[in-house]
Amino acid sequence: MTWVLQTAIGGLSTGAVYALVAMGFSIVYRTMGLVNFAHADVVMIGAYVTVTFFLGARLPFGLSLLAAILVTGALGVAMERVLRPLESRDLNLMLIGTIGFGIVLESVAILIWGSFGTAVPTPIPNLPLRVGGLVVTTYQLLILAVAAVVTALLFWFLDRTKLGTAMQAVAMDRIAATAMGVDVAASNALAFAIGSGMAAVAGALVGPLLYVSPGMGASIGIKGFAAAILGGFGSIPGAIVGGLVFGLIEAFSSGPLSAYSDLITFVVFALAMSVRQTGIFGERTVDRA
Amino acid sequence: MSAAGLVVENLRVSYGQVTAVRGVSFSIPEGGSLGVIGANGAGKSSTLKALFGLVEARADAMTFQGVSLCSLPPHRIVTLGIAYVPEGRRIFPGLTVRKNLLMGAYRRSWRGLGEQVERVYELFPGLRRFDRTLAGALSGGQQQMLAIGRALMSAPRLLVLDEPSMGLAPVLIDDIAEVLRRLRREGVSMLLVEQNARLTFGLTDRCVVLENGRLVREGPSSELRDDPGVRRVYLGM
Amino acid sequence: MRVARVGPGAPLLLLALLVLPVFLDLYTAHVAVLILLFVIVAIGLSLVMGFGGQVNLAQAAFFGTGAYASAILTTAYGWNPWLAAPVAVLATCLMALVVGLPALRVQSHYLGIVSLGLAVAVANLLTNAGFTGGASGISKIPPLPFPGVDLTDDYNDYYLVLAVLVVLVALARLIAGTTLGRRLKAMRDDTVAAAASGIEIPYYRLLAFLLGGLFAGVAGVLYAHLVRYVSPDTFGLDTMFLLLAMVIIGGQDSIWGAAVGAALLIAARNLLAGLETYQQLAYGALIVATVVFAPRGLAGLAAAARRRLAWPWPSLPIPVPSRGSAVPAAPDPPTPFPTPASAVALRVEEVSKRFRGLTALSQVSLEVPVGEIHGIIGPNGSGKTTLFNVISGVDRPGGGRVRLHGRDVTGRRAYQMSRLGVARTFQNLRLFHRLTVLENVMVALDRDPARAHLRYLVAPWTVLARERRRRERALGLLAEFRLEEVADEPAASLPYGRQRQVEIARALAGRPSLLLLDEPAAGLNAAEQEELKAVVRRIREAGVTVVVIEHNMGLVMSLCERLTVLAHGRVIASGTPAEVAGDARVIEAYLGREARDREAARP
Repeated sequence: MTWVLQTAIGGLSTGAVYALVAMGFSIVYRTMGLVNFAHADVVMIGAYVTVTFFLGARLPFGLSLLAAILVTGALGVAMERVLRPLESRDLNLMLIGTIGFGIVLESVAILIWGSFGTAVPTPIPNLPLRVGGLVVTTYQLLILAVAAVVTALLFWFLDRTKLGTAMQAVAMDRIAATAMGVDVAASNALAFAIGSGMAAVAGALVGPLLYVSPGMGASIGIKGFAAAILGGFGSIPGAIVGGLVFGLIEAFSSGPLSAYSDLITFVVFALAMSVRQTGIFGERTVDRA
Repeated sequence: MSAAGLVVENLRVSYGQVTAVRGVSFSIPEGGSLGVIGANGAGKSSTLKALFGLVEARADAMTFQGVSLCSLPPHRIVTLGIAYVPEGRRIFPGLTVRKNLLMGAYRRSWRGLGEQVERVYELFPGLRRFDRTLAGALSGGQQQMLAIGRALMSAPRLLVLDEPSMGLAPVLIDDIAEVLRRLRREGVSMLLVEQNARLTFGLTDRCVVLENGRLVREGPSSELRDDPGVRRVYLGM
Repeated sequence: MRVARVGPGAPLLLLALLVLPVFLDLYTAHVAVLILLFVIVAIGLSLVMGFGGQVNLAQAAFFGTGAYASAILTTAYGWNPWLAAPVAVLATCLMALVVGLPALRVQSHYLGIVSLGLAVAVANLLTNAGFTGGASGISKIPPLPFPGVDLTDDYNDYYLVLAVLVVLVALARLIAGTTLGRRLKAMRDDTVAAAASGIEIPYYRLLAFLLGGLFAGVAGVLYAHLVRYVSPDTFGLDTMFLLLAMVIIGGQDSIWGAAVGAALLIAARNLLAGLETYQQLAYGALIVATVVFAPRGLAGLAAAARRRLAWPWPSLPIPVPSRGSAVPAAPDPPTPFPTPASAVALRVEEVSKRFRGLTALSQVSLEVPVGEIHGIIGPNGSGKTTLFNVISGVDRPGGGRVRLHGRDVTGRRAYQMSRLGVARTFQNLRLFHRLTVLENVMVALDRDPARAHLRYLVAPWTVLARERRRRERALGLLAEFRLEEVADEPAASLPYGRQRQVEIARALAGRPSLLLLDEPAAGLNAAEQEELKAVVRRIREAGVTVVVIEHNMGLVMSLCERLTVLAHGRVIASGTPAEVAGDARVIEAYLGREARDREAARP
């Protein structure tokens, strides 16, 4: 029993990172219908920028993270601008376009930071805390706390602000939103910036757990993406649940199976998608055929 | 022609190779009203969408109170005081009724809008108890009321409605007609596109009849009401 | 169909490829072998994605499956490579089918992420499992034994791979230019219209994946025994994205495009060694630029240039058929699908349909005798198109029955209805827009069952013979519509009125016994409408029962013998045009209730 709880704690903190990635995907998807395959690499860029400021410029972690959010936000706006002509034209082409972006981002990262990874120390002393028979590390708590704050901010933004409400309106009906006076292009650019900013947070948090390397996006990004789909694409609660589920699957496929966590995760995911293609909180129909 | 009100001259709309509107002109004086009727595919909706820049259109002139609509991006049209009730209502299903209404006033400050919301609820008392309900859960008639209420939130000088009666039971059409009549009495200018001809005649001063993208009849609504040509357009005989 | 025409290009290219090794040193010869192998994999991807429209991000994993399967069988189990090879190819095909299974349920980006996820899973397995040699891979794979030829020599390898490539390119071109490729492209362009033209969508989605697996599997096996060393990173995501770049930059739906893309990128990767990162940057940027500016890649640009060179002037005005003379001769009498034992062609019995709580159809019944032109009218949103969707199998009814010539066909799928003799057109025109006019018609004309595709493997030459006959019949049908001059134009490039004609021609190509026309006059001018009327009458004279949804009342009243009027998903009237036009409920539905009467009646 202790083992189960202990594993669950680890799974939840990784899951929180996946959830952040998944929410970033979802916010772009629900506003634009665009599936941003480059999101994984934005996570990586976010991690690198944080590390550069944190270790290179010796800025406090919080400030470094803020800088990373700004950089990735600008990146998001730029991507939206380039891909705008494809909007509502050809979903498959747009998807491939974002894959192209991802390849570019990865190569740019190699050019700037080299192809070898960097180990990152945790920004706070990583101490084990004992609660009951369980061990929680301070950094795990930090991850959970930051993820919770970011999630709360996102909900507050979408639910309580005018821009957020407009962004949701655009997601539901862009024509009607335009007629009400919403600048859809600007709203989309903002969605892209927010999604990318969240990717930066995920990247910064996961940096000390993993190695920060140009290829790191592949594993976290794809899992985050899959989590978004598993939860029900476009649904923010779905993204959270999906992320946590993925974190837990990964944590529990430990021991002799730990090497195969990717295999297990994605086979479970493929099966889940074949059974219920709208995901857990699915709100959109998938195949109109 | 006075600069006041809406002036449209020689409007043409094409979707790729399909021409939907082939040179339509009309105008609505300040405080006046105009009905646009015709069968499906006559070009009514396209005409309205052209006003809001939602389709590619060309026109010799398209102005509201002297300001050219073509010079503005679509999302700025509402700032001129024109509000749109789109075909098929197009409310925001995942937002609450209140937020749908607030979205109608997107270009205004949201502070102190409670009074405006209150006014809409007064007009459509049936909506009040759904204040916090997601709009997607409303019935068709309630959604239509919400769409009109949402448009009114911008305190428009011209209300543009695209087939508000579509898909509604006759009883509900009566209710909506009642509200539109009240708005007319309050001096709101109206451009009403409808398939339901008799409803339109009862609500507007003048009407134009579109057929195949062209304007085939025009006149005071009271005269068109008994025009056999109108019947021909609808029933083909 | 251009497959039958071999220009001077292909033999010249082959000649050049045959003499090429003379100019290559040992390293470049090795690179040449790799290029040819990747050309095979890329062509496979082009068939799945460019032709079939299935986003497949697991092609590199398929490639790896073939390579690893053969490597393991020969090293761990000591099989003869020639025995291991076909087994490994089969294993790859099996893997492709498994990865393709989700395509039955999800499409587009969902399929993209599922296939990508499965690709990551495969990579994970290859890197960690004991039987795959883990991260260090499998080395000392035996070469293919070949009496008298040393297949550890890169020059000899080159000729072996070239020979396989020639066969596979021929197969790919044959597929691309004939039935199978056309059906895949039709499915890609418009799934609903493809199903309504008799294409069994789930089967073809899997078939697309199978083709991708076949090509990747063959290339994988060759890779294992020629390079004689396999490791997980060869088949990872980097390779996948490289493959994607090849196909996108070369041109998604062109066999040659994929080949050129693969050759360029692999050559660049190996010859510009040390600059890998810049190459990656370049091809990433090229992917973005291609999708935004030239979505059909190099092949598309080449085709555009060729068109411009061939016709320096704006293309000739398309002759518009003069009124009256354009009436097609009677199409062939409909093949006796179900023998019209019953005098009633179509009987709809109390059909209901709800969408998310919204009633679209409520207890709709109607009956259309054989040989009638029946009109369905009603205000917007009254359920007319939903009724067509139910009859043609696009939607399943929530209740009630649909009978075709007395036979209960309720709930059949669209492709089954098409094969039972129901053809339809669509309100918003659903042509296969990237196919030519001729191909559009040939898709529907082609009634071969899916199992007939075995011919491609067993007797490829018969495919061409059948193709020629089919093409002649299609041209005959187009001639009846005076569309033969534009037969080779992409359907989307035609003026709207002509596209409408193509759609009707396509519907007739399947020799239906029941034709459903959804707003055929929308967007047509007066002359075209007259022409349409004549066409519909001729179709009926040929024995086809016609049901038409139309808003143009003049047309409906003069064309249809009987009408059914829908409002709010219910039948509110039916009868002859005159009866219906005088019906009070119909007038109310269309013109609304008299407001004054209503007010007077109030207490």
